Amino acid sequence: MRFELTAYKKSFRKLFIATVFLFFFIASARLCRVDLGVFQQGIFEGLSFLSEMFPPDVAAFSEMIYPAFETILIALLATVFGALFSFGFALAGAANLSSPWLKTISRFAMAAERALPEIIIILLLVAALGLGPFPGVVALAVGCLGMLGRLYADAIEEVSPKTIEAVASVGATKMQIIQYVILPEVLPSIISNTLFRLEINIRLSVLLGAVGAGGIGYEIFYSFQLLEYERASTAIMVVLALVFLSERLSDYLRKKIATGGKLS
Amino acid sequence: MIEVKEVTKSLPNGKRILKGVSFKAEKGDFIGILGPSGAGKTVTMRCLNGLTKPSTGSILIQTNGVTKDLACCNGKSLRHIRQKIGIIFQGFNLVKRLSVLDNVMVGRLGQINSFRSLFYGFSNAEAEEALEALEKVKIAHLAYRKVASLSGGEQQRVAIARAIFQKPYILLADEPIANLDPSNAKKIMKLLRPLAEEMPVIGVFHQPEIAAKYCTRIIAIKDGNVIYDGSPKVSDELLADIYGEELFQLDELVEQQSQLVVS
Amino acid sequence: MNALVIEKKFLPFEKLKKRVTVFSVFAIIVVAISIQLDFNPVLFFTEGHHLVNLLGEMLPPNIEVLWKRSNVFTSILETLAMAFLGTVLGGFMALAVAFLAANNTSPSSLVRSFCRLLMSLERVIPKLVMILVFVIALGLGPFAGMVTLCISTIGMFGKLFADAIEEVDVEPVEALYAIGANKLQAIKFSIIPQVVPSFIANLFYSFDVNLRAAIGLGIFGGGGIGFEIHMAMKMLRYSDALALILFTIVLITFFEKISDVLRAKILKSETLS
Repeated sequence: MRFELTAYKKSFRKLFIATVFLFFFIASARLCRVDLGVFQQGIFEGLSFLSEMFPPDVAAFSEMIYPAFETILIALLATVFGALFSFGFALAGAANLSSPWLKTISRFAMAAERALPEIIIILLLVAALGLGPFPGVVALAVGCLGMLGRLYADAIEEVSPKTIEAVASVGATKMQIIQYVILPEVLPSIISNTLFRLEINIRLSVLLGAVGAGGIGYEIFYSFQLLEYERASTAIMVVLALVFLSERLSDYLRKKIATGGKLS
Repeated sequence: MIEVKEVTKSLPNGKRILKGVSFKAEKGDFIGILGPSGAGKTVTMRCLNGLTKPSTGSILIQTNGVTKDLACCNGKSLRHIRQKIGIIFQGFNLVKRLSVLDNVMVGRLGQINSFRSLFYGFSNAEAEEALEALEKVKIAHLAYRKVASLSGGEQQRVAIARAIFQKPYILLADEPIANLDPSNAKKIMKLLRPLAEEMPVIGVFHQPEIAAKYCTRIIAIKDGNVIYDGSPKVSDELLADIYGEELFQLDELVEQQSQLVVS
Repeated sequence: MNALVIEKKFLPFEKLKKRVTVFSVFAIIVVAISIQLDFNPVLFFTEGHHLVNLLGEMLPPNIEVLWKRSNVFTSILETLAMAFLGTVLGGFMALAVAFLAANNTSPSSLVRSFCRLLMSLERVIPKLVMILVFVIALGLGPFAGMVTLCISTIGMFGKLFADAIEEVDVEPVEALYAIGANKLQAIKFSIIPQVVPSFIANLFYSFDVNLRAAIGLGIFGGGGIGFEIHMAMKMLRYSDALALILFTIVLITFFEKISDVLRAKILKSETLS
């Protein structure tokens, strides 16, 4: 008897979830103005557009090298500064090192940053500081905080408080504890996470370029604006190669770290 | 020399863990503290190292003819006095990813300033001294290995070497052999004993027979009071008094565990 | 060899030398890149007042914009709809592709390598390129944004699902084959039940990711709240922009919390049953 009741309840719940889901689905489709006719037509338009992008403008390739280089440099520099800056926040946000209120503040800053898309940060910075790599680097560096700060802080919290206590018991200062206990214990995880973030930053650096940070993203965006699609497709090819290589490289390095390969 | 005077410790909820512990230890003493679990042994050890502050009483430590009260030290002065208190732990508590040699040198971190340590502030001579400390505990050949790759017995030796290198006035040992097998436990005790020639060694032990064999003095703590302080030749009556029913419970526990292993 | 002589490379002084070398090389690279990019960290302090000025203009946030302007409300719904539909459609397509790409369910190795290639290609194409192309094909607005999210979801989660399917416990599958089930039946009764909880849990995660992405896509013609923020900034309505940004933060945090809770619940009920 009781079993039947719960079975009934269960199927009722399933029906309810299905209805709600369907409602959201249809409402979303209407809001997004999903139209199969437009889609069908879009396929043709898209294909004819893609044919306009071919062949890629080989002559423009040499013009793409420097912007691509710039994109990488922006990502690299932002990752370096972002990692340093995130590590500072992580030290303040780790329960085993910091005071409770400092921890709360730092963790709150990280959570707030995580909820803020990088593209918004750069819109703000471009409005305040103008165009160019400077706002790009700053935006990406700040953008590291939400992810890296949290990952670093979690890694630091995994260091045994007993080990920290043991080193404190010989009279070591906080600085020395960070240098001799925290850093050696978390370094592999820090390097691995930072490499992962570098990979993300390269992608973001392409995107941010389009709204004013320069680099290859800017080339793509403006080639589209100027209807120079063949040139755009050259830039896109360069980006594909860039993203693919950075993914492979960071995968390779991270695997090496995970298997305890020597890096230093 | 260390003198513990009427030390009490109460928890925030009012429960009194230590109800006036007093004893004295000098060079040549290898003191084994015994007691049932929850009697206050660990809290006593934590007070002796300044990890926990006693509620009342004083812990006088004589260094270079100057006597300081650990119970009154704070911040910098506490750090200062801790440089001269060596401690080894049940869980070894070493920095797993540093090499053995670096872990030994960590023992003297308190004695160099932050700025110096930032630039790898140990001299080559100090590194050699650290290696000598490792030689004393017979693991100099492991000096460049990462601690994570060492066995428990080896890790505890590293911890002892760290304490030797620290050149403390007192050496504390918080259940140093609880995580080790019997043969390693004996080896560690054999290493600790001669250290008592240079400084008082105070250890908490769970195995009364081992403590009786190696220590020069036994202190028994029960319900926050010292109930015995004297010769290591402890009578069975005293043991029964110290551990009470727990001894029998322990026997049962051992029996249960051995049955588990069999089945 | 005397045991009490430290090997040269382990001497503190040698370590210091190595450390100084590594650090200087690193510092030189950072400085060189900074010079190349005209990146001057000092600018952050000397030009910092521009940021403060901007903040001054943004404060106080004009919260009223959230309900006074009717198109703001619609654009919020648009962003949510884009992320929801992109996740659901993309998720199911990712699942379908994953079955074709996993070696234990794929009909042929040719299909398998083709699907794997397709997914890795989708993963490397930046969203920026996708949205620019879809805006041309489908016109400005959330439809183009939704399709972009859909495609990128397939790329991102297809591989994850395919790997999950490949890691499925083989015993129940083999048991079904043993009683004469065909491949489709084996998939339905053995693999799907094992994969579904992680699939749903990942969908929630994917919604989080897509919600953030949807805001970014808005700026390049995907519509929604990202577009509103961009417009507000362009037209120098800074206090409106701040209100929208704050609202975005709240929105993302809210959905992140919800999806965390639901995800934990699903994974937990899976381990219990």
